[in-house]
Amino acid sequence: MTDGMFTIFLVDDDAGVLKALSRLLRAKGYEVRPFASAEEFLEGHDSAVAGCAVFDVAMPRLDGLALQQIFTASGNQRPVIFLTGKGDIPKSVRAIKAGAIDFLTKPVRDKNFLDAIARAEEVDARTRQTSADLAAIQAKITTLTPREREVLTHVIAGRLNKQIAGDLGTVEKTIKVHRGRMMEKLGVHTVVDLVRLAEKAGIAAHGK
Amino acid sequence: MRDSRPFVGAKREWTHTALACAALLLLATIQASAADTRRVLLLHAFGHPYSPWSDMAGSFRAELVKKSPEPIDLYEVSLDTARVQNPQDEGPFVEYIRALLAGRKLDLIVPAGAPAAFFMQRHRGELFPAAPMLIVGADLRRIPGAALTDNDTGVLLDLDLPAYLKNILQLLPETTDVAVVVGNSPVERYWTSELRRDFQPFADRVKIEWFNDLTYNEMLLRAASMPQHSAIFWFLLSEDAAGVTYAQDRALEGLREVSAVPVFAMGDYEFGRGIIGGPLMQTQALGQEAAAVALRILKGETPGAIDPPPVVFGAPMYDWRELRRWNISESRLPPDAIVQFREPSGWEQYRWQIALIAAVLAAQTFLIVYVLIQSRRRRAAEAEATEQRQEVAHLMRVSVLGELSGTIAHEINQPLTAILSNAQAALHLLAQKSPDLEEVRDAINDIVHEDNRAGDVIARVRNLLRKGEQKSKQVDLDELVTSTIALLNSELIRRRIEVETDLAGRLPATFGDPVQLQQVLLNLFMNAMDAMASTAQPQRRIKVSTRALDGGAVEVRIRDRGTGIGRKSQAQLFKPFYTSKTHGLGLGLTICSTIAQAHGGKLGLVNHPDRGAVAVLSLPVQEFLAAAK
Repeated sequence: MTDGMFTIFLVDDDAGVLKALSRLLRAKGYEVRPFASAEEFLEGHDSAVAGCAVFDVAMPRLDGLALQQIFTASGNQRPVIFLTGKGDIPKSVRAIKAGAIDFLTKPVRDKNFLDAIARAEEVDARTRQTSADLAAIQAKITTLTPREREVLTHVIAGRLNKQIAGDLGTVEKTIKVHRGRMMEKLGVHTVVDLVRLAEKAGIAAHGK
Repeated sequence: MRDSRPFVGAKREWTHTALACAALLLLATIQASAADTRRVLLLHAFGHPYSPWSDMAGSFRAELVKKSPEPIDLYEVSLDTARVQNPQDEGPFVEYIRALLAGRKLDLIVPAGAPAAFFMQRHRGELFPAAPMLIVGADLRRIPGAALTDNDTGVLLDLDLPAYLKNILQLLPETTDVAVVVGNSPVERYWTSELRRDFQPFADRVKIEWFNDLTYNEMLLRAASMPQHSAIFWFLLSEDAAGVTYAQDRALEGLREVSAVPVFAMGDYEFGRGIIGGPLMQTQALGQEAAAVALRILKGETPGAIDPPPVVFGAPMYDWRELRRWNISESRLPPDAIVQFREPSGWEQYRWQIALIAAVLAAQTFLIVYVLIQSRRRRAAEAEATEQRQEVAHLMRVSVLGELSGTIAHEINQPLTAILSNAQAALHLLAQKSPDLEEVRDAINDIVHEDNRAGDVIARVRNLLRKGEQKSKQVDLDELVTSTIALLNSELIRRRIEVETDLAGRLPATFGDPVQLQQVLLNLFMNAMDAMASTAQPQRRIKVSTRALDGGAVEVRIRDRGTGIGRKSQAQLFKPFYTSKTHGLGLGLTICSTIAQAHGGKLGLVNHPDRGAVAVLSLPVQEFLAAAK
């Protein structure tokens, strides 16, 4: 899923700054997608691409902080770095609380900037890894039959095969078969692994 | 002296004539029966026209005829005997008089002057033994009282000869020489000796030169060459040493013309003929006095009983023209002096006109000076006002820039950010194994560009902070608007205000101080921004438009969507220290308006029918300004 190069979505209304930052990042080997306004960014953003966003705080119409709100509200988990003309502590606190990687003051030193980008890269990679794992689990779960899925919820609830059979009005042997297939499909060998997986996939135990 | 009585007399005569014409017969009867006509014999010893006797006689005659109630039958006889050096035989003259008055009763004999009196005394017995005699104008010293009978009296002179000399020395104290003009006839010889005697006491003080031995021509020559500090005293010249006679003292005027020194004279009859003046023999007064005495005798009074006092000098008289000519100060004149022939000075003649003109001139001068002072004061005040206005304008700019300091810092920060990043990018590029030099060059070019951008911001700010001297040049209004918006860029973003521009492009240039004009725009923008503080964000828009107007003007309109102008504020907008803001000085619009006016333009502020206010700044274009100048 982490296809292609790490891409930085750069948003700054100042053409000169936008160009300079782009140049710096490209010189360090990053892919850069510059945008002159928040609106352009929202239109041109591709969440599938690995990368991070760099927002200028002071922009006409939609400023950086407002852009962050809209961006995250739409379910995007891309890490965001802010650049600001002047150190504004209340704004920076708000931004960090909303999940920003960093809040940097212009003119920004390359080390600080690149460090922040590197951190964003890590965060992004992690996030992407997590989502990728989840997606794999979800995909396995979808292969389960309804009976197997039912058995799953009972197993992770800590029930024995005999009890499950009783609950489902069948024989212990049948449950044993379902359980075996389910474990195989999900690629787990122990109940502990199964419980962890179900937890990741957000599947609730029976009766809970 | 020259009184108006002859004129009155003439008038009376005229009246008489008129009466005569009106009643001819009656008048003839009266005249025929006028048995009481008075016969008077006026006797001259020295020829009729000789001064001073002729002058005394003239005065006497006129007065007598005028004053007498009865007609006067006047016989005037000139014997000229006094001019004869040695009268051997006066018989023919006696016969002449006898023949003249043959058989007529004579009422009064009037000899004029001493020689005539002597003649009459000698021949009265044989001519008119009974007729009373009135001696006129002889000097007291010539006719002693003892020589007069009961039938005689005299109106005599008492000439104070030293007074003449004293007068000269009083007026001209530096005088060293005095020439005395006196003739050589017997009577003049008499007076020469009298004068010599009376002037003797002054011998140590002044040198007296006697002209009696000179001919008139010699006298003229001498008069013309008199040394400095000399004077001429003209006493009497009837006949010079050569025996040439000079009637009526006409000779005086001739001498006076050539004389190098001031001329004094004896009698009032010479006054006004070029003499300086002083104590003078009173021929006029003498004639009048004599006439009065004659009338009393003709009325029947005994001559011996009438003893009139001798006629002395009257108040000394001076000729102002001569005093001026010889530069004699009036302060030297005796206190009772009478100055005649005073030429009224321009001041005396046109006193009121001059006073009036002077007053008008003075008033005018005062006004001019006043106006000049006022205008200088006004100019100084104007200069001061201009200076203060510039000072305040500058302070306002400083204040606005203070307000915009954050924005300005941001405007400089942006290019600095770009410069730093470009520079660091270039360094990173160069650190690579095979650096992309094209990219490095681009980065450096961008650094240059961004540096210029920062420089522009600083220049703009520095311009606005500049103080004092106004620099007028061509101003493109569109450019000014663009530059102002650029300066405000960050502030507009901070306040989430959008600016919509509708610039005419290719506007005719106006002429003025770009700094001051930018200040106006800056102020109008700030006002617009302030006005929209409580406007909902999507509506926070400022619309700027420029256009050329008919009649050589360009205009910029700045429209906001704020609260607009309150009704109360409308009238006070441009008044100093009026503000509707919580933190305003109230000088912004006042100064903007002043600046607009100073550029020949005007500033208006009105509400927009939809919402907010519109500020309209119009300025004359350069060609129009040039044409107006």
